[in-house]
Amino acid sequence: MRIPCPYCGDRDSQEFVYRGDASPVRPADPAEETEFFDYVYLRENPAGPIDELWYHAQGCRNWITLTRDTRDHAISAARLTSEGKSA
Amino acid sequence: MDKVDFISRRENVSLAAVMARKGVTAADIGGALAFEVPKEPAYRSGSGLGLVGTGPGTWLALSETLDNEWPSALEAALGSLASVSDQSSGYAMYRLSGANARELLQRGATIDLDPLAFTAGSAATTVISHIGVAFWQLDDTPAYDLVVFRSMRESLEHWFESVAASL
Ligand SMILES: [Zn+2]
Repeated sequence: MRIPCPYCGDRDSQEFVYRGDASPVRPADPAEETEFFDYVYLRENPAGPIDELWYHAQGCRNWITLTRDTRDHAISAARLTSEGKSA
Repeated sequence: MDKVDFISRRENVSLAAVMARKGVTAADIGGALAFEVPKEPAYRSGSGLGLVGTGPGTWLALSETLDNEWPSALEAALGSLASVSDQSSGYAMYRLSGANARELLQRGATIDLDPLAFTAGSAATTVISHIGVAFWQLDDTPAYDLVVFRSMRESLEHWFESVAASL
């Protein structure tokens, strides 16, 4: 699979570290243990588009937020995570 | 690299990593250095200085002489705009030149090095044979300069020799 890094261009997925769903937000302190449990462990498993985090470890060393459709792997958006979560 | 006639080691080059501080742009850095600083993965050179874009707000800076004082001078020129760290002994550097150079790199890197896609001034930080490298094209010969972390030099040279033998 090719990942379109916003800085480097299209690269082999082996250059990246996959971090999963980009949507969980760290609970604000102080937070209940159950909230942290959900943040750390609970994930949706959607059949369709999902925002997810990829780290370009063997390239520009930046976090990238991809919008990928889990049904056909079509990537509809890619942006530097440092530039904000939503497209 | 005696066994491969189109690859030579480059020894007398100073290298430094430049990382822009928060909110500082390529244009800000360019203003301080009087240099056209690339904001994309590209190589620019002039007045004895070379800059390779390695990521958003990060560059590998090169000076074509081995000079212990140069990284400090670069740091002073950039002041509070960027962090500078001397990498002169951190990387091994190579010059690859000729048609075989493109063919060899293309067998290692999974990016398109065709002249339509990768030309003089293009740069890439990527991986060859599981080894992290950065390289950039100097001209249409084509000639390339390539850096690798020094501790990986022997492994990469072994790969160079193995692949060059098959060209
Ligand atoms: Zn990248």
